[in-house]
Amino acid sequence: MRAEGPIPVSLFFTCLADAFSPGVCIATVEVLERFGATVRVPLSQTCCGQPAFNSGNRKEARAMARKFLRSFPDDGYIVTPSGSCAAMVKHGYPVLFRDEPPMLSRARAVGERIHELSQFLVDVLGVTDPKSDFSGKVTYHDSCHLRRGLGVVEAPRKLLRAVPGVEFVEMEESDRCCGFGGVFSVKYPQISCRMTERKVERILATGASYVTSGDLGCLLSIGGLISRVGYPVKPIHLAEILAGGTGRPSSFAADAASGDARPPGTVRGAGGR
Amino acid sequence: MELNANAFGRNARKALHDKTLQEALGRTTGRFLAHRDAAIAAFPEFEATRERASRIKQDALDHLDAYLARFIAEAEQRGAIVHVARDAAQAREIAARIARDEGVTLAVKSKSMASEEISFNEALQGAGVTVVESDLGEFIIQLAGEAPSHIIAPAVHKTREEISRLFERHLGEPRTDSIPELVGMARRHLRAKFLSAGMGVSGGNFLVADTGSVVLVTNEGNGRMGTILPRVHLAVVGIEKIIPRMADLPTFLRLLPRSASGQAISSYVSIVTGTRRAGDPEGPERVHLLLLDCGRSAILEGKYRAILKCVRCAACLNVCPVYQSVGGHAYGWVYSGPIGAVLTPLLVGLPEAGPLPDASTLCGACADVCPVKIPLPDFLLELRSDAREQGWKTPGEIAAMKGYAGVMKRAGLLEAIERIAGVLGQFFTKGKGISGLPYPFSGWTERRDFPAPAARPFRKLWKIKRGVTR
Repeated sequence: MRAEGPIPVSLFFTCLADAFSPGVCIATVEVLERFGATVRVPLSQTCCGQPAFNSGNRKEARAMARKFLRSFPDDGYIVTPSGSCAAMVKHGYPVLFRDEPPMLSRARAVGERIHELSQFLVDVLGVTDPKSDFSGKVTYHDSCHLRRGLGVVEAPRKLLRAVPGVEFVEMEESDRCCGFGGVFSVKYPQISCRMTERKVERILATGASYVTSGDLGCLLSIGGLISRVGYPVKPIHLAEILAGGTGRPSSFAADAASGDARPPGTVRGAGGR
Repeated sequence: MELNANAFGRNARKALHDKTLQEALGRTTGRFLAHRDAAIAAFPEFEATRERASRIKQDALDHLDAYLARFIAEAEQRGAIVHVARDAAQAREIAARIARDEGVTLAVKSKSMASEEISFNEALQGAGVTVVESDLGEFIIQLAGEAPSHIIAPAVHKTREEISRLFERHLGEPRTDSIPELVGMARRHLRAKFLSAGMGVSGGNFLVADTGSVVLVTNEGNGRMGTILPRVHLAVVGIEKIIPRMADLPTFLRLLPRSASGQAISSYVSIVTGTRRAGDPEGPERVHLLLLDCGRSAILEGKYRAILKCVRCAACLNVCPVYQSVGGHAYGWVYSGPIGAVLTPLLVGLPEAGPLPDASTLCGACADVCPVKIPLPDFLLELRSDAREQGWKTPGEIAAMKGYAGVMKRAGLLEAIERIAGVLGQFFTKGKGISGLPYPFSGWTERRDFPAPAARPFRKLWKIKRGVTR
């Protein structure tokens, strides 16, 4: 494991986690600090621009990308608890700036520095023991952009398997899209729901108490369905498992003060009834 | 085939409620995928072969004029008559003229996606020719008066009961549950047609430039009968199907069946080169090759050139969670799934197929399986961008995006909105989820809850926690 001196990390907390799951951002900071990172949080950051880019609105996406590049300092790592936002910066920005050479080289340089959390811990810091105290039966959903966009398949699994209290169980079709797809879930909600239903079926078949992922978007869709039906499984972001679960309120529970005492069957998930 | 791509949303909703279709889709795509995965696991050279195929196709497209000229010269030298159609109307005209000049009244056709593009059957019927589809799947949907819903399994959406009812009504056959019996009925009926047809019509999987050959990859044997038994053979093929050399063919024959159905090789591979020669025991006396441009040259000139590498294996359909949910008819034209979502707007124009590029979560599974490495998700993104630049986005979406960018440009404004939303959200939902969002997000919460915004966004918490202000 790399350990000499402090590791400069800027947190890209993502707009989704900022607004809906601040606990994920806090968990990310805690985990990073646990492994020797000096975490800076640029407070002028907002959104990477993915909703605009993915819906073809490149003018707006470029404005967001410029804003992102201005918000982050020119040195150190950038770490984010989102495979899809990291993939946007890494692969989307070079497309946005393909006709602007100076911006393109900046975008590429930032793309080199950005990492999704599990990827950073395993591939950059060489973490093998997450030092987490989480316990429960956990299944993992591969978000498409983390798996296919960044090629991160093993890192989250390695970390989950290394948490002493975690009983890790693979679901079938773990790499199949959950149906969220950002703007897709707004444009074609019925198809999106059908895909989420199939994903939740696979999750339930594992008998896990928790479903985790490296992307909040997927967990919003999966958790929203779980919450609506009241299925006995709880969505939780990977960062929160790595930060340690015992006594820690999940960021999915809206009232952060009330703790995590409810049994999985009454999950409030990304919502609740 | 009638174009109905702009109704994607409506078509998709209908498909989601079609129980028979849903069962058939799960069964068929799952089977194809499982076979594909097994076939590729047992073929260690897959990646290398895929890379080679992708390069050969790229070369073929980069020099399409030269290869096409070579193909035409070689084919003509071997007795074929070559026609090139610039658009669908011209293609229909040529096809009808060929049928009339050859004195044909009955044609047997084996599957050709390209012929669906130009509404070939209607053109021939207009010239007084009866066209009988001879692929089992195509035969079934022709009886049903429907269009194909899958590139390699056109009747994937039909149950055996429906098929038996069709055979009872149209062929006078007794009802049966037995697939072999149903196949036997179709075979008996089609044999008679093969023997009496004046013209056999086929598509073509590959056009081989250095020999002037048309290559057909099939599983049913009908392609072979259709190209050998009738006096005239007409192949309707897109110009992009060119490969430079016969020596390139094995590369594609290794990839196509494995990607399509998981077979190491298809049951039949027919290489048709020119007309029957002296001493040949069989073969057509006359061969016509109808090569379709129909928008391909225009695609070739632009940023989407690589889409023309497609070998129509349908692996991207089978793996696509959207296709698996709604089936092929939802896409409203010949090509469905991820390849259709890109190719259809390129061939018919964005105004005619605007919803298709949005019909994807960009999950990337299609790019993973494509045997010729077409960057389908990148192309979907480009098309969405083209839609904005060409003015095909709705004013509502543009306004929403401008509003979003306006907020996201200012972290302070975003935080203020988040805090107001947090307070309102907590008040109205008591900290629980939102079960009904207003339009245009109402669909989202139809069967899912949406989370209430946090009472205090992270940015605020961080400021409190660490006492920092910037």
